[in-house]
Amino acid sequence: MRILIVDDFSTMRRIVKNLLGDLGFTNTAEAEDGHAALAMLQSQSFDFVVTDWNMPVMTGIELLKAIRADARLKTLPVLMVTAEAKREQIIEAAQAGVNGYIIKPFTALTLQEKLGKIFERLAASA
Amino acid sequence: MAVVMDAAMDKAWLVQRLQEALAALEAGDETGWRVQIDALAAARTQPMMAGLSRLARELGQALGELPTVTTDAGELDDACARLDHVVTMTEQATHRTLDLTEECRALTARLGEEALPLLEQQQALERIRHNLTEIALTQSYQDLTGQIIRRVVGIVRRVHEGFGALGLPPELQAQRQQGRHEPALAGPAVHGVDRHAVSQHDADDLLSDLGL
Repeated sequence: MRILIVDDFSTMRRIVKNLLGDLGFTNTAEAEDGHAALAMLQSQSFDFVVTDWNMPVMTGIELLKAIRADARLKTLPVLMVTAEAKREQIIEAAQAGVNGYIIKPFTALTLQEKLGKIFERLAASA
Repeated sequence: MAVVMDAAMDKAWLVQRLQEALAALEAGDETGWRVQIDALAAARTQPMMAGLSRLARELGQALGELPTVTTDAGELDDACARLDHVVTMTEQATHRTLDLTEECRALTARLGEEALPLLEQQQALERIRHNLTEIALTQSYQDLTGQIIRRVVGIVRRVHEGFGALGLPPELQAQRQQGRHEPALAGPAVHGVDRHAVSQHDADDLLSDLGL
C-alpha cells in the first residue's frame, strides 16, 4: 500500500506520515500542492491519497476532481484532511467523489477509524 | 459673501441681474452683459462650492484625528511581517518537536529489543528524558507568538476604529473588503466566531446521509 500525502505545510505532512507509520502504512510520499500531487500520481503508482483542501497552485478539491476525471486514476481512494468545515464544502467534496472527510484538528483515532471505514467499503464493493 | 440668501431677495436679485443683462445686450454693451451673466453663474455655483469646501474641511479634521494614510499602511505592513514571523516560529518549533519525538520512538524501539546491555538501556532512558525536557522547552514559542499575535490584534483594532471614525458603517466596510478580495476558503473554524462550521461528528452524519 503506497500512500501520497498532500499538504502545503511540511509539519502537517510529517504528522500525517508519522500517524500513518504507526498504523503500519510506512510506504508514503509527499506533495506540497494538488499540481505536484497530480504529476506524481500520473508518473508513479499509488494506492491511496490523503489530501488537504486549502493549498496554493491547485487545491485539494481541484485535485480530487482531476483524479475522478482521469481514466487511469478515477478509482483511487481519496481522504480529505482539512480545516474547511462548512456544510456546503463537505457536500461539495462528497459530490466530487471523496472517500472520507476529516476536519482538522484531528486525533490519531479519527484517522484510524476513517481509514478503516474506507478500506471496509472498498473491500465490500470489490 | 452670504451663501444662503433669503428667497425673496434672491428672486429680486435674479430679476435685476437678468434685466440689466438684457439691457446691456440690447445696448450692445458686451462687457456689461458679460458681468451680469458671470454674476448669475457665480451665484449658481456658490452653494455647491461651499458644500464641497465644508466636506473637505470635515474630512481634513477627521483625518487629522486619525493616523495618516502612510502610518496606517506602515502599521499593516508591520502586522504582516509580525504574522509571517509567527508562521516561521511555529513551523520551526513543530519540526524541532517532531525531530525529538521521532528520536524517542526509535529509542523506545531499542529498549524493546531483547538482551540490550544495561548500559545501553540506561543511555537510551537518559536520552529520552533529555528529549522530553527539550520538547517542553520548545513549547516556549507559544509565549512569544502569543505576544506577537496580541500586538497584531491591537493594530487591526486601531485600523478598524479608524474606519469607524471616518463614519463608514461596519456593513459597508465588510462589503468593501469582500469586494476587494476574492471570497477565500474559510480555513480553520474559530469557536464562538465561525457559526457555519460543523464538527467531525456532524460531518460524519452528513456524509452518512450522502451515502458515504
